[in-house]
Amino acid sequence: MRRVLLGAVMCIAASLPVLAHHSTTAEFDVQHRTTVSGTLTKVDWVNPHIVVFIEAMGAAGAGKVAWKFESNPPAWFRRVGVSRADFAKAIGQKVTVEGNRAKDGSLYGYLLKITYADGNALELVIPGADR
Amino acid sequence: MKRYLAAFAVVASCATLGAQSRSNGHPDLSGTWLFSIDLPPIALKKTTNGAATVKTIDASGRRPAAENVAGALPSAPAPLYKPEFRAKVKDLIDHESKTDPVFYCDRPGIPRIGPPRRIIQLPNEFVFLYEDISGDPYRIIPVGGQHKKDGNPSYYGDSVARWDGNTLVVDVVNFVDSTWFGEDGYFHSDAMHVTERFWRSGANLVYQATVDDPKVLASPWTMAPRVVKPSTDGLEESPKCTESDAKLLVNNDHHGQR
Repeated sequence: MRRVLLGAVMCIAASLPVLAHHSTTAEFDVQHRTTVSGTLTKVDWVNPHIVVFIEAMGAAGAGKVAWKFESNPPAWFRRVGVSRADFAKAIGQKVTVEGNRAKDGSLYGYLLKITYADGNALELVIPGADR
Repeated sequence: MKRYLAAFAVVASCATLGAQSRSNGHPDLSGTWLFSIDLPPIALKKTTNGAATVKTIDASGRRPAAENVAGALPSAPAPLYKPEFRAKVKDLIDHESKTDPVFYCDRPGIPRIGPPRRIIQLPNEFVFLYEDISGDPYRIIPVGGQHKKDGNPSYYGDSVARWDGNTLVVDVVNFVDSTWFGEDGYFHSDAMHVTERFWRSGANLVYQATVDDPKVLASPWTMAPRVVKPSTDGLEESPKCTESDAKLLVNNDHHGQR
């Protein structure tokens, strides 16, 4: 059952962020989700993509590392009822981000979901796929 | 000046949902029109205290009309370039993800930016207001005027309007040659001439444009019409645009993954 659910999640992840911008598949590994937990340090509400900054623990011995995740444009978030404040309220707090990592291996990704310390979350989904 | 501002305020206050009234004997095109962005139908699922809501946006105004639209000109899916330029267009589209100017926060120009978000209709001129990732341009378009003789080339060109029955026809010339008039590598020269048409279809606004460029196109190209719904969503200043992805591209995939 768990394998089936994982497959469903992978399918959604693979088909999500096709943006009217640089090619998503040229930049991000849309076949896999990467999960990063750490402290939200900054939110840039800029075009063409918002960017959130996460300070997380790196691999063993690496100490703290800085991740960046971009996501949809500010205008899109505004129209689905999300403002910068919905992200910025968690600056300094622990968050978990799921996204597609950059193919070049850098600490960069496309944010698909952010879960806050209180369990509340924002997630990009395909309409109907989550029901 | 006071009189101008007063007239502006009256028109602006009436520019809500584009009631089908007439203005000085012409159709009233004023109003706030649906914001559309060229995104796939991704929704936002928001989970708060265990309860989830899902919200998406209506991008219909960004796409060709799904059905025939009364008053529309015959359209074609793509422009036809002169034979000597077809290889260039193919090369641009093959490398579109790295070469499209708008991906670097450049301005989309006309007609790529599409219909305005807000139209203010005055007796002798139109004011078009836009929201765009690259910034928020405006156009002030005289009705019945002449093109400027000494204007500099620009992204949004020099516009004059006239009424053709119930259709507002906007004639635009004097462009810079650095924009694409469509995402598929549709480059143009400084001789590009765009004719935009706006008319009402019930409560909606219809937008259609014809692009001619005798230097590079074999014939004028008319895009499919777009039907744009009225909106209560007011304009908001767009945040600055900062490109940060180009250095991360590892192949030439098209952004639409075609």
